[in-house]
Amino acid sequence: MTGASAARSAPGAGRPTGTGPGRALVAVYGVFALAATARAAFQIATELDRAPLAYALSALAAVVYVVATVALATDRRRAALVAVGVELVGVLVVGALSLAAPQDFPDETVWSGFGAGYGYVPLVLPVLGLLWLRRTRPARPGA
Amino acid sequence: MTAATLLVVLACLALAGWAALFVARDRAVVLRQLVGGGVVEGLLVLQALVLAVLAVRGDGPVAAPWEAWGYVLTQLLVLPVAAAWAFAERTRWSSVVLLVAALTVAFLQYRVLVLWGGA
Repeated sequence: MTGASAARSAPGAGRPTGTGPGRALVAVYGVFALAATARAAFQIATELDRAPLAYALSALAAVVYVVATVALATDRRRAALVAVGVELVGVLVVGALSLAAPQDFPDETVWSGFGAGYGYVPLVLPVLGLLWLRRTRPARPGA
Repeated sequence: MTAATLLVVLACLALAGWAALFVARDRAVVLRQLVGGGVVEGLLVLQALVLAVLAVRGDGPVAAPWEAWGYVLTQLLVLPVAAAWAFAERTRWSSVVLLVAALTVAFLQYRVLVLWGGA
């Protein structure tokens, strides 16, 4: 949305976040949004009493992935930054807690063990997301 | 059921391989690949119908029926959404989208097979 002339300072600067490599990134985010939403809905609908903390975190993860997917797809950079940031903190904190206090995490969440159950993609994804948001950051005038 | 699932998985992997080839060649998704995706989607719908008939006859998922049906139904969404998302992008990254979608469906098929107890 910034002028094309101002966006030439770096390759990709100012381009919509849902285009080019971002299109593939959104696809992976979409898969995780689907997986996390389905998992959270299933856990909360069937056995919430068993592990309220883990399932609440599952729901949080689902919301984060859905927001990140939609925000990246529609070039809402601020929302994307918040969602991806929460995602990175979430996977690190939940990953560490699930290893340190496994009794509080009797069931897997997407972020358990730093996303080991999903090939560690949940750990890599927010890093890629932040790098992509930085790459596509609109060039500031005079910067 | 196992053989049918294997067929769908092979179809998904064929589609994934086709997409990977296009990624390597720096090409965007072409219409014929979407037709291929449509064939896979048709197989998935057929599978869902067969599973529904089996379930009605009392031969449903062994454990966690909610979860099993969740997989069967959500996997129907993946390819149509991915196709629409991929086709709007006319670069190699659209082929990456198709690759991700095809591998996702293949993995979901594996989960379906496990949850149905290999019935």
